[in-house]
Amino acid sequence: MRADKAGYRPGLVDLAAGQISREIFVNEEIYREELEKLFARVWLFVGHESQIPKPGDYFVSGMGEESVILCRDRAGKVHVFLNSCRHRGMKVCRYDEGNTPVFTCPYHGWSYGTDGRLVGVPYFREAYHERLDKSQWGLVEVAQMCLYKGTVWACWDPAAPPFLEYLGKFVRYLDLTLDGWDGSDGGAEILGGIQKWRIPCNWKFPAENFCGDSYHNISHRSVDLVGIGPSGSGRRDMQERLMARRLQVSFYERGHQTGVYLLPKEQPTPPAYQHSSVVSEYFAHCEAERRKKRGEWGRLIGSPGEVFPNTALHPRQPRTIAAWHPRGAHQTEVWRWYLVDAAAPPEVKDFLRDYYIRYSGPGGMTEQDDMENWNYAHAASRGTIARRHPYSYEQGMGYETDNYEWQGLRVPGTVMDITEAKSSEHNLRNLYRRWAEFMEADSWDELATWRRNERAAAE
Amino acid sequence: MSEPVNIRQLAPGTRIVLEGGATAEIVSNPQDGVWVFARFLTSPADPGRVGTEEMIFAQDIIEIAAP
Repeated sequence: MRADKAGYRPGLVDLAAGQISREIFVNEEIYREELEKLFARVWLFVGHESQIPKPGDYFVSGMGEESVILCRDRAGKVHVFLNSCRHRGMKVCRYDEGNTPVFTCPYHGWSYGTDGRLVGVPYFREAYHERLDKSQWGLVEVAQMCLYKGTVWACWDPAAPPFLEYLGKFVRYLDLTLDGWDGSDGGAEILGGIQKWRIPCNWKFPAENFCGDSYHNISHRSVDLVGIGPSGSGRRDMQERLMARRLQVSFYERGHQTGVYLLPKEQPTPPAYQHSSVVSEYFAHCEAERRKKRGEWGRLIGSPGEVFPNTALHPRQPRTIAAWHPRGAHQTEVWRWYLVDAAAPPEVKDFLRDYYIRYSGPGGMTEQDDMENWNYAHAASRGTIARRHPYSYEQGMGYETDNYEWQGLRVPGTVMDITEAKSSEHNLRNLYRRWAEFMEADSWDELATWRRNERAAAE
Repeated sequence: MSEPVNIRQLAPGTRIVLEGGATAEIVSNPQDGVWVFARFLTSPADPGRVGTEEMIFAQDIIEIAAP
């Protein structure tokens, strides 16, 4: 089935009916179009500055299907380059990470400085007669890059809005993952290595899962019963569920969304990490500081979210960022980074490392539940008959609000309060709304709708 | 014909002989097995290169110079 340019929203992504075709998950032609229309135009997470602290440090990352090199040049400037020699395309870096003065292609020997300049060409004098213009054959660099509170984001499209404009007011929710637990700006570092593994499913299965889908909590019942949580029960410390408003927050024009808990005014954050007095006391101290620094905003407790389209945020337990790298219509490569306050005591970092890997990653008990769902849902949606039947995304349609306020705190974004409703697919619909817009739009002029609205408001 | 030189083992200060008879001294080695940085000591075909520092391609290195 081919989705023509006008067919995404009314046909495959039918938000009026709350139905989405399985084709967008399993159709290989749609997948190929995604690479061009989506991954070549959006902002993507590529790594963290703490992974490349010194000149010459590099980390090989990914953007869509492309391998890229995140590196710090000899002058200390951060770059993101396509990991492909300009001569015949060979990867110029085949290690995961390290430190180097040059990236040398093993095929014919072209060599590039850490600033991307072509510095070594075998037989430059003899074979090229010094006529090759080396300045034109440096590594391909991303059109835009942004360093934000330690994280590194990149985009191939020069016409895309700058990263902070791309985020809009969602930046405040991203900060719940990137800021220190005590409310200070940034200050996180990557804890341990990056976990990488492949799942036999389309990348949008994990992407929608992390948009704030709490409906699937039944999948984690066994983990809750085992009690892997940092206080010895459940899988996370979730006492806030008993007293907070549970919200789903989305940004229609941007495609970002997240879950969040909003505590009552004057309500301290419930105690957590009870399995270790050192860790428990550390977090109690940090939470108190956070409330002082952030005021009413400190009443918000982060929950899973997503920077459109494929960067998952898990702000609290565990505190982690994941990228869902597409590897064909039927496979996703997950890269998961774990964050911790750089200034946290060693006992806290050790405790969190154990908890994080108990929860997430290929060996994490909670993520294993998710992977099993995505794996079999994808496989069972590929058949000729299965493809005829759309998925249902009808929960909570029409119950969202743009002006949500509770006990003195106005919450930015379009909000669905699910405290009583228990669940909603509001955020999931937002993901696919934006996805369809990208698949239909020819340029960022069409996609940056807020600019038109702002211009109109100014006039 | 000389044995190929394992250029990853060339430490700074090592002197090498290049195709064409030039000699050079290793300045630094990025350990990529393809290039070394070296300063020309002699260059019969192009005396102007003497004293200059260049990236030297592994295939151009004939042998390690006799001490």
